[in-house]
This record gives sequence, structure tokens and C-alpha cells, in this order.
Amino acid sequence: MYKYDYIDQTLVNERVIQFKDQVDRRINGTLPEEEFRPLRLQNGLYHQRHAYMLRVAIPYGLLSSDQLRTLAHIADKYDRGYGHFTTRQNIQFNWIKLEESPAILADLAKVQMHAIQTSGNCIRNITSDAFAGVAADEYIDPRPVCELLRQWSTLHPEFAHLPRKFKFAINGAKEDRTVLLCHDVGIELKKNAQGELIADIYAGGGMGRTPILGSLIKAGLPWQLLPSYLTALLRVYNRFGRRDNLYKARIKILVKALGPEEFARQVEGEWLHIQNSDDNFTQTEWNRVAKHFTKPAYKTLTALTNEQVLALASDADKTAFARWLERNVKPHQVPGYASVILSLKPHGTVAPGDATTAQMNAIADLADHYSFGELRVTHEQNLVLADVEQEKLYALWQEAKKQKVALPNVGLLTDIIACPGGDFCSLANAKSLPIAKAIQERFDDLDYLFDLGDISLNISGCINSCGHHHVGNIGVLGVDKDGEEWYQITLGGEQGNHASIGKVIGPSFYADEIPDVITNIINTYVAHRNDDEAFIEAYRRIGVTPFKEAAYKNAKKKEKVEVAGDAS
Amino acid sequence: MSQANVSNSTVIAAHEQILYFPKGGKPSLIPNEWLIWSGSQDEGSMPDIKHGESKVLVPFSWWTHHHEADIQSKAKAGQIGVWFATDDDILKYADLIEQGKTVWPLVAAHFPIFRDGRSFSTAALLRDRLGWDKEIRMIGDVLIDQLLQGARVGFDSFVLRHDQDLDVALKQFNLFTVTTQNSWRGKRSLLATS
Repeated sequence: MYKYDYIDQTLVNERVIQFKDQVDRRINGTLPEEEFRPLRLQNGLYHQRHAYMLRVAIPYGLLSSDQLRTLAHIADKYDRGYGHFTTRQNIQFNWIKLEESPAILADLAKVQMHAIQTSGNCIRNITSDAFAGVAADEYIDPRPVCELLRQWSTLHPEFAHLPRKFKFAINGAKEDRTVLLCHDVGIELKKNAQGELIADIYAGGGMGRTPILGSLIKAGLPWQLLPSYLTALLRVYNRFGRRDNLYKARIKILVKALGPEEFARQVEGEWLHIQNSDDNFTQTEWNRVAKHFTKPAYKTLTALTNEQVLALASDADKTAFARWLERNVKPHQVPGYASVILSLKPHGTVAPGDATTAQMNAIADLADHYSFGELRVTHEQNLVLADVEQEKLYALWQEAKKQKVALPNVGLLTDIIACPGGDFCSLANAKSLPIAKAIQERFDDLDYLFDLGDISLNISGCINSCGHHHVGNIGVLGVDKDGEEWYQITLGGEQGNHASIGKVIGPSFYADEIPDVITNIINTYVAHRNDDEAFIEAYRRIGVTPFKEAAYKNAKKKEKVEVAGDAS
Repeated sequence: MSQANVSNSTVIAAHEQILYFPKGGKPSLIPNEWLIWSGSQDEGSMPDIKHGESKVLVPFSWWTHHHEADIQSKAKAGQIGVWFATDDDILKYADLIEQGKTVWPLVAAHFPIFRDGRSFSTAALLRDRLGWDKEIRMIGDVLIDQLLQGARVGFDSFVLRHDQDLDVALKQFNLFTVTTQNSWRGKRSLLATS
């Protein structure tokens, strides 16, 4: 993975000094909270219900074992012994003291980490495929471009105070695992007929209050020209994006208002003047970065069949191990290797994506022993060991089980994506964690979960959609009505190549109704499905009506919600 | 119509000293010679600020509509510059700004609130696209922690908000010795050192 050189390290060290001075001025009172707020946000520091929350950047989800140990150390020393991996491949700590935040950043800087631009109205941490560089269906390793753009966007002066936050995702695989079209800018990497690396640029996607899929605004952009093109794009947004209404300030609103063609035309007009500027990347810069993304020292191995891998396990373990292989182990580019997903979604978990200090330290050791000392964070809030020898899968499974990160529920109903919600976040309208827990407890039956197959269930505690509910097959959104917590259900969302935004099925429910509602929806699927039909396929075939009828079949409760109405 | 007394509401408040940081030079404090007329009294002519003694920055949108003789003569004496509001689309006025190069000793771009970053792009465009090579002044709700960004996009003088500590402000420009993208002041460190 990428290693800082003098420039990167100096910048991060100097950023720590700058932030320490800002915190000092806040504490001594010369910097008022209102003016400190954007500064601390641009360093990932939120003020939440109970304490400050610090979000640490994990650029494109890539992490070394030493970095994970430092995160464990931070959880232990400055927090309450755990961290929360987020849907944007970062980690956040929920119990931070303002006066300790500069020391945390100094600790992070020692392992080439930071919290720069993990919040605020600026270019955020860039996300990508958690299986970058190893996925069997990859045609371009996106990591060099991710890293080049990470550097380009870091402390970019012109775009430090955009109308609203700005998120990039970058994909280079056949299957999109980045939710590319739900980003302000999605960059799809490919090769042209001459074998040159080019990028298709999608703009104006996003979730939140107005979920929209991004539109293609530029095809076949040579990779070298990304900085000038993105400067043009961001410049148009910075100048003309709305600033009068927080909820209309994202680029998606501008793209929608102008129309994608007109937006593309304006960007093109701006770009014409700067496309040959020396902002563009050089081959030297590519080489400097790309040399860190070479393949690790893979052994020459023979690929094992599933049966051969299964034969590694004892008879007693075979059933459980087979399930894990089916759900949590993914194909690799290199014969004899596989990628393993460690589930941070044990049933009845406190919070999807949480890991304790002990787990982080143990997982760091697993990364050292089994996967060249590297890990990845998925946007579904799990961890990946990307380069595991198939021969060692059984040994790894046994160790992962001890850490309670071997539940074979990846991609199943209980692999819930959820934001921290009202338990922590001051933006939230409703809690999301107890809902996730209740659903996991209701469906705590692996046989049944396997029978149901691929289903995504995503929960957001408010319309900011950090829990990606819009792209869940089943989405749950917390809404506030007259000070009470209600939950709205959406169906039909999907991430990936067939990305779509779910539709609201009707009036909201109380929290304690949700497990029954989900059960009724699932039962409807089971009753209607054809042989191997996944939930989303069945939904598309039969439409929303049977699901809706099932969800509201309890007439008494239906009455209740109709009285309350639905304002959102 | 002239006014003998200029009330506070007609000028944008400013320190008596400005921070001056020319490209390639060192930041320092110098006296502020320029009043910033807010343009709030748009009744045909500029207020007679201190009976014509002072240099004044007028709103660009006002300038485009006023070509009276007294304004022209004040401009010829090098006593008028313009400031751009955040919603002035400067690219639509490239010709006028080209002419302004021989008239205005400096221009300014306004920050109505510190977290509104539009004027960063205004300065970048003035430098990169419109070829403005004289002073660009950062005015309005200018706080210590915007100075570095301002200095990098193209501003070279800074009128800080009245409550900002100028000594702390002066130290901001030395915070970073490296950069990872080009700016008006120089290339990214990798290209600058290689």
C-alpha cells in the first residue's frame, strides 16, 4: 500500500500543528464556536450528543496492520475501547475530548494517518472498491488514481468552502462495489482501444433528502487530465451551487436544475481553458504512487476447488465452515488465494461496524499472519483480508471465530448497514442501532438467512442517509414526528451495476413494529419467489403492492399510523 | 448625490492595517488606504467619501452602470478600484475587466460570511483566466483561518475582520512548507523540487 514520502509526512505533521493552534484558540476563547466549527469539521471532529466524535480517514479503505493497532490504541487511550467503521470506509470514535484531539492526530501522523477532510463542505475522503487490486472481476486497479486524487484534493485551497460536502468514488471493476452513482462524482476507470487508462465521469449522484443517481458527463477522459477536469467541475459547482438552502446545496441539485447536458457543457467550457495546464498529472507522479501498489509476494500455488478447501476442516466444523466459504470468501485474481470478509455484524451487535480494541489488535495480527499485513474496510462496514492462501482459510476461520468476526452473514439480511443514529449523532431524528439489533435478533437463524439469500437492509437515523437506506433492498429511515421516533420503509433500492433508489411504501411505523413489518415483507418474498430468485428480482417482477399489503396487514396499527399521518 | 458623512452602513468595516503578502515576498502589515464602499446607497453617484481624498473600492456591479465625469476623473487619478460580490459572474465581464487593468490599481473579492468560498474561485479566475496581475484584496468576513487558502488562490492583500488578531494572522502563511496541488504561488512540492 501507499507509503508517505517526505512531502506527505511533512504535510500531515504541519496539519497537526495547525489544528492544535486552532484548538488552542478555541479553548482560550479567541476563536468562537461558530467559526471553529467548519475548521474542526474539516479535521473530522463533530460535536455529538455526548462528546466529540472524531472521524479518521482511511483513504479508499486501505489499512495496514500497524495503522489498525494505532486505531486500537486510540480507542483504548482516548475513547471507550471501541471504534466504528463507517459506510465511507473510515473509522470514527465517539467519546473524544476536544483538548485531546491534537494528541490523537499526532499519534495518527506517526502511522501516516490523519482526519483531514473527513467532514465539512470540502472534498471528502475518496472511497473505492474494498477489493481493489485483488478482485477477480477487476480490469483496472483504481488505487493509484485514488492516491493521486487524495493528494490533489488534500487542503485544496479553492475548494475548501464548497456549498456542501463533496464525495468521490472510484471504481475499476466489472461489478460496482462503490455505490458509484450515489456520489457527487463517480469515476469509472477503464482502458481504451489503445490500452490507455481513461475515466468516465459521472456527476450529481447522491442520497440524502433528494436521492438521485449520477449522470455521465464525460466519457474517455485520459487519467492525466483528471486534475484539470475536476477543477473545472468543482469550479462550476463552487460558483453556482446553491448556498441559500442547506438541503439544496449538493451538486446533484445543480446538475438536476441545469440538466446533466448543460452542466457538462459548462464544465467543458471551463475545462477548455485549463485542460493543458500543469495541474495535470505527470508520468513521474504516476510512477511515484503506482510503485506502492504492486502485487505482494504471492507464492506460486495451485488453485483449490471448493471441495479441497472444505476438506481442510474437521467433520464437526464442515457445515459452519462451508457457510463461511459461501458467504464471506471471495474469488481472487491469483490462483490459490482468496479474499476474506470479517463480519462486524454479529447478531445482536451493539452497532454494525463496531470493533473493540481487543478485536482490532487481534485482527491486525490476523492481517500479519494471513494477508501481508494489510486490510480493507468495506462500505458495508466489514473488514477484508484481501490476500489469504486458500490452504489457510480453515485456520483463519478458526481464529476469526474466536474474535466473533466469522459470522457467515455477508450479503444476508443481518449484514445490516446502519449509521450511529440517535444514540450518538446529534443530527439524527431517530435511533438506528436498536432497530438493527432487533432485526438481527428476530432473524437469528442462519438456515433461514441462507435460504433467503442476498438481501440488503440499510438503516439511516435521518434523511442525511449515512446508513445508505435509499440503496438497500429494504431501507429503514428514522423520521421525527412531533418529537416521536418513527420509521419509514423503502423497498427496491439496490447498489452495484443495477443501482436504484428505493421507493417509500407508505406511512411510517413505530420502532417496535419494525421487526414484524420486516417479517411480513420477507414472508411475502418467500411466498412469491421463483426457484433461485433473489429478493430484489422478485420485487421487480411482482411490484410493491403485495409487500405493501403485507407490511400494513395489521389493521389496528395501520389505523394508528394513518391518524398520525406522514409528513415526510 | 454626495454625502458628507459616510455612515457605517455604507462601508464594509476594515482594520486600519491590512496584511500584504505579495507573490514571492513576505507577509507584512501596511496601512489601509482604501475604503470599501458597500454600494448600499445606489442613487446615481458614489458618496463623496472624505471629499474625494480617499481611495475607494466600489462594487463592480455599480461600476458597470456609472460612467459620470466625476467618477471618471477620480478613476484617472488612480483612486477607484472595484470589488466583486460573490454572485458577480466575472467571466461575463471579461472585456470590462480587461479595460479595468488600465484603470483600477487593485480589485477585491468579497466574503459575505467566512464559510462562503465562492470568492476563492473568483480570485483563481482573475489570475488564471483573466490575467489580472495587480493586487487582489480579500474583503468582508475575512478570518485568520482563511488566509492560507486566500493566499494560494490569488489574493495578495487581506482586510481582516476588525476582531481578528493581526499577529496571529501574520503567522498563518508559514504553517505549511509543502503542498500537493499547484496554486497561484507555486507548483506542488513534487514538481517544485524535482
